Amino acid sequence: MATAYITASGQFLPGDPVPNERMADHIGLLPEAAERVGRTTLRQNRIRTRHYAMGADGRTDWTVAGMVAEAIRDTLSQAEIEGQAVGYLATATTQNDLMVPGLASQVHAALGLPPMEVASLQSVCASSMMALKSAWLQLRAGEHRAALVGGGEFASRYFRPGFYQGTATLTEGKPLPADAAFLRWTLSDGAAAVLLETRPAARGLSLRIDWLSLRSFADRFDPCMTAGAVDDGSGRLLPWSHHANIGAAAQAGAFQLRQDVAALHRMLPVWLSEFMRLVDEGKIDPQAVDWFCCHYSAHSLREEMIRLATRAGCMIPEERWFSNLSSKGNVGAASIFLILDDLIRGGSLREGHKVLLAVPESGQCIMAYAGLTVVGPEEKRE
Amino acid sequence: MNIPQTPPTDLVATTHRALAQVWIEFESTLVQVPIVARMLAGRWRIEDYRRLLANLRQQVVEGSRWISRAASHFGPEHEELRSLFVEHARAEHRDYRMLEDDFVAVGGQRSEIVSTPKNIGSEALSAFMYHAASQRDPIGLLGAMFIIEGLGNRIAGPWGRMIAEQLSLPDEAVSFFLYHSQNDAHHLEEFDRAVDLAVTDRTAGDGIVRHARIVARLYRLQLEEIDNV
Repeated sequence: MATAYITASGQFLPGDPVPNERMADHIGLLPEAAERVGRTTLRQNRIRTRHYAMGADGRTDWTVAGMVAEAIRDTLSQAEIEGQAVGYLATATTQNDLMVPGLASQVHAALGLPPMEVASLQSVCASSMMALKSAWLQLRAGEHRAALVGGGEFASRYFRPGFYQGTATLTEGKPLPADAAFLRWTLSDGAAAVLLETRPAARGLSLRIDWLSLRSFADRFDPCMTAGAVDDGSGRLLPWSHHANIGAAAQAGAFQLRQDVAALHRMLPVWLSEFMRLVDEGKIDPQAVDWFCCHYSAHSLREEMIRLATRAGCMIPEERWFSNLSSKGNVGAASIFLILDDLIRGGSLREGHKVLLAVPESGQCIMAYAGLTVVGPEEKRE
Repeated sequence: MNIPQTPPTDLVATTHRALAQVWIEFESTLVQVPIVARMLAGRWRIEDYRRLLANLRQQVVEGSRWISRAASHFGPEHEELRSLFVEHARAEHRDYRMLEDDFVAVGGQRSEIVSTPKNIGSEALSAFMYHAASQRDPIGLLGAMFIIEGLGNRIAGPWGRMIAEQLSLPDEAVSFFLYHSQNDAHHLEEFDRAVDLAVTDRTAGDGIVRHARIVARLYRLQLEEIDNV
């Protein structure tokens, strides 16, 4: 089987960084009582700045597809090949601009590249790793020689007051339910991408993908992050399309993005157990990892991970953790590519470095890890 | 959680890591057991709580007995472990009375809970415990203790509170669960020390992990076989 390398990366973040005190300019402000959870959430996630595709005037020129296309253009501007040489495009997002068709079609259209194979991967954060794995395997199987993978999110559009007002989610004088408020103060917008080839770049460094593991634990967890459905009162999720009419679905709050924060903490041991499994299988050597790129949604989760990993004798020293959460925020399916791009452009990578990617997804519990090795142009091709 | 001052040896760390995985698999899949799933969904009736107590009681009675038997099978080179097992057996040997009191507090008859036979899962669990405890130097039983103590330390508290809330019960009616959640923390620390002592080679570590896997499965079986006596 062929080997696949990340030979270029890129990103697109809309507008200027938005500090905590100016968040409300973009996502709007709900009545004071409704915003109580916001301050606590910001303290826990320790995000200081993020980007919003929604302008201060409540208008936008952006779509997820448009941002992913920009990130891919940025990637190609770093690449040694042209877009025409790419045979496969995989996209990742949580909520596409359109319900139909898939995001990859719109990104393909926005890029204006010739006919190519596409795949639209939709889940939550781990959709990024699904897309990366599909591209990696396409190249390994010999189907294509170059593939683009892009992830993007435009979550802020769901957080504007108009999306809560008049729904059951927002009751006058009451705080916004924690499951809705948590994400409002956590997620932001942007896109990032990587280019995969069956050979390393002729100059500079590339990242060889050594393995990629992704597993779902939906056999033991209920949905924890949802949109498009609402609890029917008996603990079951009623899809928006099962309501009497579209107005009733909206009124019931079926379109809100929600996160059960308590369930998130219950999933953490399972995510870490996957890590231990990969240590035991010899895929991960915690001592040999030079860069641990973990997409986590809140600093408090990071602290709990450290506690559990230390106990099990598989802690990667904290100085090797690479994160851009505090400056770029949590951009869901774009995050791991944003982290990779910042790591690559940061200039600290050296030939032989081992990079470990970790992407947990709380949706219904998925955990993905990938092992990468930094290689130079002389890397022997298999 | 108890973080050791010095880095654990590879063998000890490998054992703790394997045990952590066994635990996580056990805890995360307990939600698939029907009676647990219904409790987590807040759909229990008072009868469910009485059934759980009656089904747990016979196995809890056996607890300190198999630990005592195991203690008597440790040779002189495992004095520390024997001492740990003896102390442990003493600490727990009347715990079943709390279960009985809780049963009575929620309208059950003491004579009923005392005379309820073991369910099929409890039979399998007890049989395995006595079998393992009857072997020479039953170090592997530390794995069994790890699961049983983990239940007390990590699960009893949340379950006790959940049961009390959905059935509107006072703390006195969930005393068994609440007591274990408050008192088993130091047991897990003792357990960590015991593993450090016991895991001198690969065989010992593997044995502990294997016993943990078996006991986790059989404990779950006990919950799956509620009232199947």
